[in-house]
Amino acid sequence: MSTTFLPCGTYHQNYSQDHAWWQTRFIKAKMALLFLILFGLIPWQADSYWLSVCNQIGYTVLGALGVQLLIGFCGQVTLGHAAFIAVGAYTSTLLILEFPWPAVLLEWGLAYPVSILIAAVIAGFWSVLFGLPSAKVKGFYLILTTMAAQFITVDFIISQYISQIGGRGQAFSLPPGTIKIGPWVVDSDLKVYLLMLVLVIISIIGVVNLLRSRVGRAWVAIRDNDISAEVMGINVVKYKLYAFFVAGFIGGLAGAFWISNLAAISPEHFQWFWSLWLVGVILIGGVGSIHGAIFGSVFMVVVMELLQLAIMPLADSFPKLLMDFLFIKEAVFGLAICAFMIFEPNGLAYRWWQMKNYFNLWPFSY
Amino acid sequence: MELFLMAITTGVMVGGIYALVALGWVLIYKCSGVLNLAMGEMTLIGAYVSLSFYSMGVPFLLSLLISLVIGFVLGILTERIFLDKLIGEPVLTVIMVTVGLSFFFKGTVEFIWGTDTRVFAPAVFSIEPIKLGPIVVGRVYLWSFVAAIVLLFIFMGFFKYTRWGLAMQATADDEMAALSIGVSARFVYAAAWAIAFMAAGVGGTLLGNINGLNISVGYLGLLVLPAVVLGGLNSVPGAIVGGILIGILQNLCGTYLDRYFPGGVKEIAPFAFMAIFLLFKPYGLWGWERIERV
Repeated sequence: MSTTFLPCGTYHQNYSQDHAWWQTRFIKAKMALLFLILFGLIPWQADSYWLSVCNQIGYTVLGALGVQLLIGFCGQVTLGHAAFIAVGAYTSTLLILEFPWPAVLLEWGLAYPVSILIAAVIAGFWSVLFGLPSAKVKGFYLILTTMAAQFITVDFIISQYISQIGGRGQAFSLPPGTIKIGPWVVDSDLKVYLLMLVLVIISIIGVVNLLRSRVGRAWVAIRDNDISAEVMGINVVKYKLYAFFVAGFIGGLAGAFWISNLAAISPEHFQWFWSLWLVGVILIGGVGSIHGAIFGSVFMVVVMELLQLAIMPLADSFPKLLMDFLFIKEAVFGLAICAFMIFEPNGLAYRWWQMKNYFNLWPFSY
Repeated sequence: MELFLMAITTGVMVGGIYALVALGWVLIYKCSGVLNLAMGEMTLIGAYVSLSFYSMGVPFLLSLLISLVIGFVLGILTERIFLDKLIGEPVLTVIMVTVGLSFFFKGTVEFIWGTDTRVFAPAVFSIEPIKLGPIVVGRVYLWSFVAAIVLLFIFMGFFKYTRWGLAMQATADDEMAALSIGVSARFVYAAAWAIAFMAAGVGGTLLGNINGLNISVGYLGLLVLPAVVLGGLNSVPGAIVGGILIGILQNLCGTYLDRYFPGGVKEIAPFAFMAIFLLFKPYGLWGWERIERV
């Protein structure tokens, strides 16, 4: 997706204006409004149910961001991203539960933040490990190796070995009060929401800035044509592995964040379904744009919640509907992907881009 | 030694079923260039249809036949409704449509038939094992293998001697040339999906006879992916050899490695093997090597 056009009569006089994130006063006002809603309105007005929906959106955004980076910007299709989220979640959980933290860190409430960072780094390296085949294969074959990553990591290593550590059985549960950032214990939906916002904003800023650096341009070059990229002197393997690292890093962040919301961490949360779900989210949102990851997440989570709300009244007469809601959800998700691919292959972000350009160029749309 | 021979025989026999499903996969890929990730769910549908008819009291062969017919219709419908509009779209788009289809099929199957394991009752094949010299083989495995091999030969004959089969071969070989001598490509695509659906249905029914039928049979359908990668994506003999090799590999790992890595070695081994194999020979044993130009 190309850049948005500036409104009529807006000119830049120096490079710093040209490189600015928010280039016009209108955009600045819009973003201020967005932040006001995110930090001022939603936390204090929404009830616990909608806050948990927002948290789910945030988690999906974090996951989808990594997938978007790999598929949308570097052209490396991955169907195993849930594995890296799982690595993040389990690393962070195990660090909190099993690691002998120095008393100072515990007292200052640094155990969880530090474990998030370590988890993200480990997930990043795990992702690089399974990104190594991308040096040799691409396209469909790479899809298969990422699938192998999913099955090996989640269904084998985590289910069979990691889950046995400490003899807790299949699910790890975190005792209340262990997830603590500084003096604040993350125990309510509101606190999870605020943590989520901070993480999402940091990662989006990080990714967007990466994308407009040398690294990001190399990724886009590899996506567009990897042979030409190599001819132009880009070390293709190196940058592909960077992409895998960053995607895994964000995936690890997502996983480590999500344990604050989960009562019990078990491999069921990180099945292959979730990997495919994330890819579906960015396809619906729009491949190759950060907006796409966000729009797709909001759309999918909200549509699924609405579907559930719509089915609730029918539940009295057809109890099977509610019981099997998970399956309806799956089927609807599948149909939604098919419909978007057939009728709107550019995704929601493309419509958004068109709309913005329409208003920016109005009344002279040429 | 006996253990080894047993593992190999069972492997070959289960591998025959994989080969059947893999054949359907390769057929779709060769004819229409679609990399199909919905194969597992296609096996599920066929298996559940034949199971439903069988538990209603229809004889086994007849219920298998009904599931073939339904598979045929579903295959054509799937191609016409979803895949037909995507000819010429980028690969990722098509792959993701098949992923969407797999979700749709899976959700529908779970909604209609539930997630509990069901068995073919009364058992189609008696549980008494057959002795082939020192090797003991379950009757189910043997019959599944025979059925798979018979069907493989029927498919081979279909491709070699019938008009439709030749048309499909021609399209797979060179679509433009086939079009210019009057082969309808749309017909061939639809036929490829129909046949793949039927093959998957038979494979699913046979697999369901071995261990009972639940959603995880769909996962066994995913095992065709290692099989086709091993054989080369666009090679029919490769698919058959690949399927059998994956069956053997799975059973050998289950027999020998399970002691050291308890748990799901059997399920994971084909994928781990595939990931390593891809590093050395990405085009498989008999696949075409593509030379890329800018």
